[in-house]
Amino acid sequence: MKVPLVVNGERVAVEARPDEMLLGVLRREFGLLSVRETCGIGVCGACTVLVDGEPVSACLLLTPLAAGRDITTVESLGGDHPVQRAFVEAEAFQCGYCTPGMILTAKRLLEEMPEPSEEEIKTYLGGNLCRCGCYVKIIEAVKLAAAESYPLREVSGT
Amino acid sequence: MIGMSAVEWLEPRSLEEALDLRARYGEDATVVAGGTFLGILMNQGFLRPVRLLALRGVLDLDSINQENEGLVLGAMATHRVVERSGMVREGWPALAHAFSVVASPRVRNQATVGGVLADADYASDPPAMLAALDARVVVAGSGGRREIPVADFILDHYTTSLEEDELVVEVRVPGRARRAVYRKFRSRSSEDRPCVSVAAAEVGGGLRVVVGAVAGRPQYFPEACALAESGRTEPDLADEIARRYAEAIEPISDARGSARYRRRVVAVEVRRALEDLYRE
Repeated sequence: MKVPLVVNGERVAVEARPDEMLLGVLRREFGLLSVRETCGIGVCGACTVLVDGEPVSACLLLTPLAAGRDITTVESLGGDHPVQRAFVEAEAFQCGYCTPGMILTAKRLLEEMPEPSEEEIKTYLGGNLCRCGCYVKIIEAVKLAAAESYPLREVSGT
Repeated sequence: MIGMSAVEWLEPRSLEEALDLRARYGEDATVVAGGTFLGILMNQGFLRPVRLLALRGVLDLDSINQENEGLVLGAMATHRVVERSGMVREGWPALAHAFSVVASPRVRNQATVGGVLADADYASDPPAMLAALDARVVVAGSGGRREIPVADFILDHYTTSLEEDELVVEVRVPGRARRAVYRKFRSRSSEDRPCVSVAAAEVGGGLRVVVGAVAGRPQYFPEACALAESGRTEPDLADEIARRYAEAIEPISDARGSARYRRRVVAVEVRRALEDLYRE
């Protein structure tokens, strides 16, 4: 079936099977390789995309359910988004596999709660797993992004 | 490809049209609400639907309203919308809390009220709380509408009393409970499903304690709850009701805990839930 999608601001009608998850379509039809499959059961967060601004697991979203909705992947942030800058400054990754999902989830968190407590950050990002175990730095990055101005020296432990 | 036929996508625009399709296809059309549980089953290869009946286009199925003293949650309202609704947080805070502790924001942005009930997964959070609040599931079918208490709607693991021509349309929660609490005991990570969950509420003058995630359906023992009217004093009462729940429940064993472990957790968590309730 033809599914009309709005991906990173671009309107495209793609050919997809109705039982196909959005994850595969974004990778195959759009080359958006920041959207990654790991668990396939909505637990790990590596396939996080924003749908109408809200984080969703692309591995569990049937493609026709995304029709007409605004889909955002990390590619559209351009590299200079405050959350991206904060992740770089805090060195909040090792392999980087989970990073796109972390950034998109953190972006939405900060829209909802501009000044989250550490507990709120942990709870909100609880569904995004980092197998390198960079959680300390990731939490730091979110705090940095929240502070918006973040001189390097304020990053503890570096 | 050989053996692969096209999957049909049905997206009705009205409840009437959705019910017609449901009556026509029954179990041959897999109903799609938010699609999280369905996605898991499909990705794991447990389910390969031939026809998908999506409810996303049906108007007004996702609303949240107050009617008289009660709360009406549309079947397509997502967990996130329920947990963030001012109306729910104000009038039914324990219910908002039960929805807010499900998995992650991602899952809650997709998963729906109707879906979590119709899936009848033993380890979901909301059903126990809804049962404790004496909520009713409103279903529509060829024969009209009927209301089923949540406690009778979920029959066993992944089994409900929904007929093949019926759809869940809304959930009705009676007037504000005087006091209500929801406790989720996790044995693994923070975003996991509960090992044991306890919902307790005072509804219409009576106590309702419902234990979730320990058996095929939410566990409710009216006789044990009736002890609340026996004139016993509170610390003793909480202990006694907790003891009776731990005795009455036949817990399952799974990756979140053995039956023996769960029985001990039930005794502790029911007592704590009642202590929380009486402190409210």
